[in-house]
Amino acid sequence: MTTLAIEAHSLGKHYKEATALSDLSLQVEPQQIYALLGPNGAGKTTTLSILTTLLPPSSGTARVAGFDVVQQAHEVRRRIGVTFQEIVLDRDLTGRQVLDIHGQLYRLGKAERTRQISELVALVQLEDAIDRGVKTYSGGMKRRLELARGLMTKPEILFLDEPTQGLDPQNRAGIWDYIRTLNREHNLTVLLTTHYMEEAEALAHRVGIIDHGTMVAEGTPAGLVASIGTELIRMQGSGDTAHFINTITTLPFVLRVDQDQQQGAIQIYVDNSTRRLLDVVQMAGSNGMRVDDISIARPTLGDAFLHYTGRGLRDS
Amino acid sequence: MYATYVIWAKHMHKFSRSTEEAIGLALQSVMWVVLFGVGMRGLVGDVGGNDYMSYMLPGIIALSALGGAVGGGLILLDERLRGITKEYLVAPIPRLSILLGNAASTATKALFQALLMLLVGLLMGARLAGNPAGWLAALVLVALFALGFSGLALAIAAQSRSIMGYHGMIFLFNLPILFASNALYPLDVLPTWMQVVVLFNPTTYLIDATRALAFGTPATLPLLLSAAVVLGLALGGVGLAYVSFQNSLQRTM
Ligand SMILES: Nc1ncnc2c1ncn2[C@@H]1O[C@H](COP(=O)(O)OP(=O)(O)OP(=O)(O)O)[C@@H](O)[C@H]1O
Ligand SMILES: [Mg+2]
Repeated sequence: MTTLAIEAHSLGKHYKEATALSDLSLQVEPQQIYALLGPNGAGKTTTLSILTTLLPPSSGTARVAGFDVVQQAHEVRRRIGVTFQEIVLDRDLTGRQVLDIHGQLYRLGKAERTRQISELVALVQLEDAIDRGVKTYSGGMKRRLELARGLMTKPEILFLDEPTQGLDPQNRAGIWDYIRTLNREHNLTVLLTTHYMEEAEALAHRVGIIDHGTMVAEGTPAGLVASIGTELIRMQGSGDTAHFINTITTLPFVLRVDQDQQQGAIQIYVDNSTRRLLDVVQMAGSNGMRVDDISIARPTLGDAFLHYTGRGLRDS
Repeated sequence: MYATYVIWAKHMHKFSRSTEEAIGLALQSVMWVVLFGVGMRGLVGDVGGNDYMSYMLPGIIALSALGGAVGGGLILLDERLRGITKEYLVAPIPRLSILLGNAASTATKALFQALLMLLVGLLMGARLAGNPAGWLAALVLVALFALGFSGLALAIAAQSRSIMGYHGMIFLFNLPILFASNALYPLDVLPTWMQVVVLFNPTTYLIDATRALAFGTPATLPLLLSAAVVLGLALGGVGLAYVSFQNSLQRTM
């Protein structure tokens, strides 16, 4: 590929009180769906704000669609569609007015606006509600309207900040579908942030795990999973857990041991889980641990996340 | 600056749909003129060779423009707090057009209110000067004045973190602007120190010019100076709003 859709070099954003981003780099190929995964406060929204020209970076540079986000912000703005983390809709307008005014801001002609509105309303299935006031919409309908608004101006690159936050499974699956369709049929590049592993796994060609304002791991979902020790034994037990973890960490075939803070599950990454299962059970017994449950698990993106950030997603 | 028009039109559309706001604004205007005008007229009689109704009408119109400016700032603040400004900020439009759109809708509402007050005032016995060109000039000045003060209100709204904080700041400058002016009493009845204060208040110039242009009260200040002050206020207000707004964009809300 010639130019990258999005490239960021050592972005930093420093506030008086806190550092939101430090040394974050990112590359997104055209026509990819890229998911930024990270716990609360990791810097996902800050990254998106910089890339969408809402915030100037304190350091580093970024280009979107080949244009510098600071020097050529106007060119960037013409080529992107954005939805924000929180719902940003004028409650006193109807859905149609929201879309129409948005089109006017981008100087689309009347005919084009009408065409786009009818096409998008069909895509996000808001035909019945589009002439109603936004204040009568449910959360899912608002999200879908926002997605339609982000697409009104036929962007090359779409930025979605937690597009399915707070939605039920059905709405979520719907939004995933729209995003896939757009990506496949309209060659749209998508950068989204999410808290949901399933979302990243279901949608993204590439995933970036971000924590404390910097990129800690990056790759395809399968590649990220493969990059953390090969296989996984998950154990639930009671006894002197700390001592047990210390002991098995020293074993040559154990690559890493994590403990989920909330559920207390111990995850033991080993070279070969079937062969090592018995060893682990024996170690537990000789270290005074009672094994309540033990299973061989295929590592998931969630395991990769835990591995790289040292914490579960919802316990920041 | 097409975006200015789009944002202005959106605000006007919302205004026209919000009967509450429109009726509130209209009633407010009528009440000011009727209650204040009638009460003070009984007390004062004629001022500056004209009846008191004609005399104080420009003052309460200026006051209502101030109220309008406060409301305009509130709209920006509300859009900021709810994140709606972000939709404008990622769009390929000049940042200034966001402010101008807001200030323009504020000035339009102020003009609408001024006309209404004028109408009620005329019904209550105020007498216009003979020259319609003067009326027009006065309206332009009122619109510029509203633009200037909505700029100041926007400058505050761009930095405020809450509606309460905004009102607190606004209150600080709103009251003195009315009372430390010639809105209610002629300049020459004031002690010298107060006259000096009053001459630093741009409201004084608007009111003096409006009285002269629309109601035929002899001007006590040079007309051209008054016009220049009001124009300066408009430019300064918008400039200040722009600087404050740009500054607020360095961080997220
Ligand atoms: N205006 C600001 N002033 C000071 N600190 C800020 C400001 N904005 C963000 N931060 C800090 O920067 C860090 C990153 O915030 P950001 O909103 O980018 O996180 P996030 O990954 O989007 O989190 P979430 O998942 O909760 O949305 C946080 O620690 C936050 O407190
Ligand atoms: Mg966020």
